[in-house]
Amino acid sequence: MKPHNPQSRRAWCAAALGVAGFCVLAGPGFSADAETVPSFDNQAQKIFSALQDTPNANLQAGSWGRNLNEYYKLRQYPGSPPRIPHNVDPAFNGDETNCLSCHEQGGYSPEHQKFAPVTPHPENTLCYQCHTKETTQETTQVTPQVTAKESFVANDWKSIEPPKLGRSALGGSPPPVPHTLQMRENCVACHTGPGAVVEIRVSHAERGDCRQCHATVIQTAPLKTFSRE
Amino acid sequence: MKLDRRQFIKQAAISSAFATAGALFPGVSFGEWNSLANNSGVISWQKTPCRFCGTGCGVLVGVTDGRAVAVKGDPSCSVNKGLCCMKGYHSVQALYGEDRLTTAKVRKNGKMVEVPIKEALDLVASKLQETREKQGKDAIAMYGSGQWTIPDGYVASKLFKGCLSTNNVEANARLCMSSAVTGFISSFGIDEPMGCYEDIDHANVFITWGNNMAEMHPVLFSRMLANRKQRTNVKIIDFATRHTRTSLAADRSILFHPQTDLAVANAICYEIINNGWVNWNFVNEHVSFKKGKTNIGYGTEDHFSFTEKEESINFDAFKEFLEDYTPEKVEKVSGVPAKDIKYLAALYGDPEIKVTSFWCMGMNQHTRGTWINNLVYNIHLLVGKISTPGNSPFSLTGQPSACGTVREVGTLTHRLPHGVVMNDKHRQMAAEIWDVPVTNIDPKPTDHTVAMFRSLDRGDIKFMWIQVTNPMVTMPNLKRYRDGALKDDRFLVVSDVYPTPTTDVADVILPAAMWIEQEGMYGNSERRTQHFEQIVDPPGEAMSDTWQIIEVARRLGFEKQFSWSKDNYIEKIWEEYRRFHAGPKHEMAPYKVLQKRSGVQWPFVNGKETRWRFNPKYDPACTNGKDFDFYGKKDHRACIWARPYEPAAESPDKEYNFWLNTGRVIEHWHTGSMTRRVPVLHNAVPSAYVELHPEDAAELGVLDGEKVKIISRRGEIIMPAQVKGRGVPARGMVFVPFFDESYLINEVTLDAYCPISKQPDYKKCAVKLEKV
Repeated sequence: MKPHNPQSRRAWCAAALGVAGFCVLAGPGFSADAETVPSFDNQAQKIFSALQDTPNANLQAGSWGRNLNEYYKLRQYPGSPPRIPHNVDPAFNGDETNCLSCHEQGGYSPEHQKFAPVTPHPENTLCYQCHTKETTQETTQVTPQVTAKESFVANDWKSIEPPKLGRSALGGSPPPVPHTLQMRENCVACHTGPGAVVEIRVSHAERGDCRQCHATVIQTAPLKTFSRE
Repeated sequence: MKLDRRQFIKQAAISSAFATAGALFPGVSFGEWNSLANNSGVISWQKTPCRFCGTGCGVLVGVTDGRAVAVKGDPSCSVNKGLCCMKGYHSVQALYGEDRLTTAKVRKNGKMVEVPIKEALDLVASKLQETREKQGKDAIAMYGSGQWTIPDGYVASKLFKGCLSTNNVEANARLCMSSAVTGFISSFGIDEPMGCYEDIDHANVFITWGNNMAEMHPVLFSRMLANRKQRTNVKIIDFATRHTRTSLAADRSILFHPQTDLAVANAICYEIINNGWVNWNFVNEHVSFKKGKTNIGYGTEDHFSFTEKEESINFDAFKEFLEDYTPEKVEKVSGVPAKDIKYLAALYGDPEIKVTSFWCMGMNQHTRGTWINNLVYNIHLLVGKISTPGNSPFSLTGQPSACGTVREVGTLTHRLPHGVVMNDKHRQMAAEIWDVPVTNIDPKPTDHTVAMFRSLDRGDIKFMWIQVTNPMVTMPNLKRYRDGALKDDRFLVVSDVYPTPTTDVADVILPAAMWIEQEGMYGNSERRTQHFEQIVDPPGEAMSDTWQIIEVARRLGFEKQFSWSKDNYIEKIWEEYRRFHAGPKHEMAPYKVLQKRSGVQWPFVNGKETRWRFNPKYDPACTNGKDFDFYGKKDHRACIWARPYEPAAESPDKEYNFWLNTGRVIEHWHTGSMTRRVPVLHNAVPSAYVELHPEDAAELGVLDGEKVKIISRRGEIIMPAQVKGRGVPARGMVFVPFFDESYLINEVTLDAYCPISKQPDYKKCAVKLEKV
């Protein structure tokens, strides 16, 4: 199906863009070593402006139902840029006027009958640099993971498991942010609104400062304990 | 479509074919925490103020089988309305660290040996007695805390000042709040803020003076953000020396060179007068003008002393004084563009705008801390923006009971629960309530905190009892004071909940009950007294700090003054203490009221809390029949002070070419002795670092995470650099958080202090940097 108008056409371009926001940790090598400190923490302004600029209705809107399963299907490892799951006109060049028209603010796409996910990093406008598009399939269905069968040559690559949800330290306590903040500093983009993944959408975004309660604990291994030297 | 957890798991199972590609499937696990075996699952929720900062959030602690297992914000508490920060939500985990101190320890032949707590208390009492007899009454000292409960501080003051006749009672709030106190006393004659947190819901402009509220008072900060979002006419201006999370959230971030807030505040006053924005009705009726001494020194030498000399001046003299502070002149000193100074002045000067100023350590930990407190009051007083909803110069506290225990109980060398030791009437009142001869109370103050540790180093003080604080991490110019504490004939008693660098130098360690393991009260930044019951049992032989003091007092022969029973001693102490504050200016709520409510603000008069003081609409203590009554002063007028800009005690020069600024991060509470035992908080920020401006880092050739040596005239330290962290200091400044005992940044800092408040300046000293 060809996009009918520029507006909806843009919606096609890179639904996956925003989704990258959710990934879970940067690739191998990123661990919270005692001697390194969490980086990219200096982008807090993105949260604050997103909170200020996002209408309350959007902050409070329920998720349309995109789930983590669909979310991880588009990724090769926790933190990888997701593929673009929808058809893209080969003429699209992937610049901001195309992708960002849908993925900067989000909103409903009548053609997909879905809400577009919001990118947490709209300042990176060369979308195709990281997000691969599929130009061959004329389908709006989420394409299945590329399988070994379809590969040029099969490989044996494996990754780690993504962080688990619900890692609250005690009953009712705010779960930590389990992913690196690099390119995912803007909590509002991915965790609120109708485009949000249902399992991780928050219902209380209007509280103002996400990281007041949610500590950043990039973690796929067991927590470290403090011991006096 | 919404999925609940079960549906999701089901769906997950269906799509498990997908998991072949490297087990990518997101598992959902809610069983990550250790759970109690055979647990009933029934939780009872009990109210308490949070253990940590001076905001004083009401929290509900969930208890099952005698253990604290969960926390939620108390929706009925007006402070936080059900919200907490990450420290509060995980606070109960800090009760259960594996190395919790549960038995008393005594140093025998250089080694700490576990002993029954009775034996340790006997030793404390006999050593105290012996030192007092041999070395004199002022050779003993008590060093407490703004994290003391109110009863803790009260019994300490009663024992040391009332019974043992020494004014050597100090608390770590000297290091965090004393400039706020002297600021209030000199400007208003009476301590603590006139406003309350409700100001946040009324103000149009918030100006944060050297105050990273987003991390240090997060719950109040998010209330500001929520107000900005809900109301269209709200702005936040961050005025600071370092770019922080608060700057990032602010509508405008204005940076100034360290120490020049003095000059900028004066320039704002200059602009207000120059533009005719003075509220003359207010100034004529309610304000007096004064000046004090200048070139007042920095207290870096032993036996430094300072006596203020007040002089009344008139408005014209004040105006003339301000001639040196035109925005253009101040731009050169402060680095703040004149147009930004004018912008700030215009916000304060606009009669249509309600302005609330917030500050905390940036203004208090300042060698001219009293002055800068005065100067911000000057601004509010000139335009009459004070004591009305939304118009509020608001001094925030750092600790949960800096106000309650240190400022109200008066656990400082010169203070009594009501008034000062120098005043005959105040001593008489204390003697009567304490049931001691009035001659017991020495009319002469002794050492403030820095002087006390210097006395310990010199040997004038031989015995010191330290409770609920960790001075071997927090004292500035730390090495001198640690070496002093370690000298042979010094005897240190340390009451704490975990081993720390301070317990490392102790001769006796007393295991303390922590927070909700005892009954007590805290007092927060907005004059709110908050009671908590004992919710869980203390571990092992751990005992409340109050009861430790009572035990020692009884061993010293003061059974009569400390006759309370274990069943209701907190209630009895509260009702005794409350007598000091009788009257409409400071009436405290009765015990029974405190027990029921999630905090009660004083003055609590005729069953009503006072939200805005000095305003007769809200404050029954106002008697002058006018629209405001600053009754703290004899003339019922608040005071505008002519206070000049004077440089810092130590500024960068050619050799030591960087400012060193120290402070905190949201994850950790002070020296980390509690929060580092909370896994989430420890893992979020596992170690300290030195924050560098990216260009300074590039010039040094240092990348994020690489080691940097920080050298001052007092000491040096090697630590990892943080270049892309949450904060960015101005060029020529580095910032180091002090929570990490592995990186004792206070070995580098300077023990200069404000001569009036005696509060050290942890925000400014000169260092040089080397790449390691």
